[in-house]
Amino acid sequence: MQPPDSRFSSELTAFAVQQLDALGQTSAGIQLAVLTSEDGFEIAAYRGHAISGRIAAMSSSLQALSEAITREAGLNSPRSLIIEAEGGTILILGTTVASARVSLSVVASSADTLGQLLWAARNCCKTLEQALQG
Amino acid sequence: MNTSQQLKIVFTGPMGAGKTTAIRAISDAAPVSTEVGNSDQAMFAKESTTIALDYGELTLEDGNCVRLYGTPGQARFSFMWEIIGLGALGVILLIDGSSDHAHLDLKAFIEAFQRNTPDQPFVIGVGRLKSNGDLERYFSLLESVELVAPVFAVDVRQRGDVLLLIETLLCILEMRVTEIDHAAS
Repeated sequence: MQPPDSRFSSELTAFAVQQLDALGQTSAGIQLAVLTSEDGFEIAAYRGHAISGRIAAMSSSLQALSEAITREAGLNSPRSLIIEAEGGTILILGTTVASARVSLSVVASSADTLGQLLWAARNCCKTLEQALQG
Repeated sequence: MNTSQQLKIVFTGPMGAGKTTAIRAISDAAPVSTEVGNSDQAMFAKESTTIALDYGELTLEDGNCVRLYGTPGQARFSFMWEIIGLGALGVILLIDGSSDHAHLDLKAFIEAFQRNTPDQPFVIGVGRLKSNGDLERYFSLLESVELVAPVFAVDVRQRGDVLLLIETLLCILEMRVTEIDHAAS
């Protein structure tokens, strides 16, 4: 489900898809990457398939919960949310694109080291943020 | 009351029905909120929307604490309905009475929550009604889905209206406990 927000133009979406593809090339373990509007709409995806819309909605909820819990604990804003599962890792990072809060979710198999994933995902966020300033 | 000391109640309903407002109106302390900017103005023209949950607490006169959980309203967040609904003693379903699809919303939310917990009691609060007579439509719809539940016209900005919904739900729960006790004795 694409976001109805006009800030996410087709040009922006195309650039985001390019960057997510580049992120996917950093590791064979990356199975899915989704850029999501803060209210849970998929903006762009790498290897997007049937579940990317649901992953988008879930990651925006998790991002909001991580912001709520860090706020509650007096820790300001969360940098990243890491879910380590038996079969792999899910990373969720908040960032700002075209003046809108968005989140990047990366699903990776356990072949990747966490540090490598985090580095690649943060680089992707930085590129998106710098190139798509509102 | 003979139920748990920690009572979990869920506020649900479609986007814009007033779930966040209702919890804010009665929570003892500032509730936990996960509101973000709403980019889907076509769905409902409002600035922000809840995307994970609202959480507040209300201490009753008898010392029991009611934990108040609010769900997101959009179907794309229906996974949160299941998560939040787990362990809830009852559901307060808020409906926007001015919406053209209020009846569909009522039916959809009842079905979604009954799927997870079939015996969960409901109390229905309908906001933005033109007249209280409009409530009749909701009674007949409840009959069609074979649900017996009280329906009230409410303004969830009013603490008293929200308390009415909660107290009604607690009465239903108390009656159920009494019935179980009688059946066992």
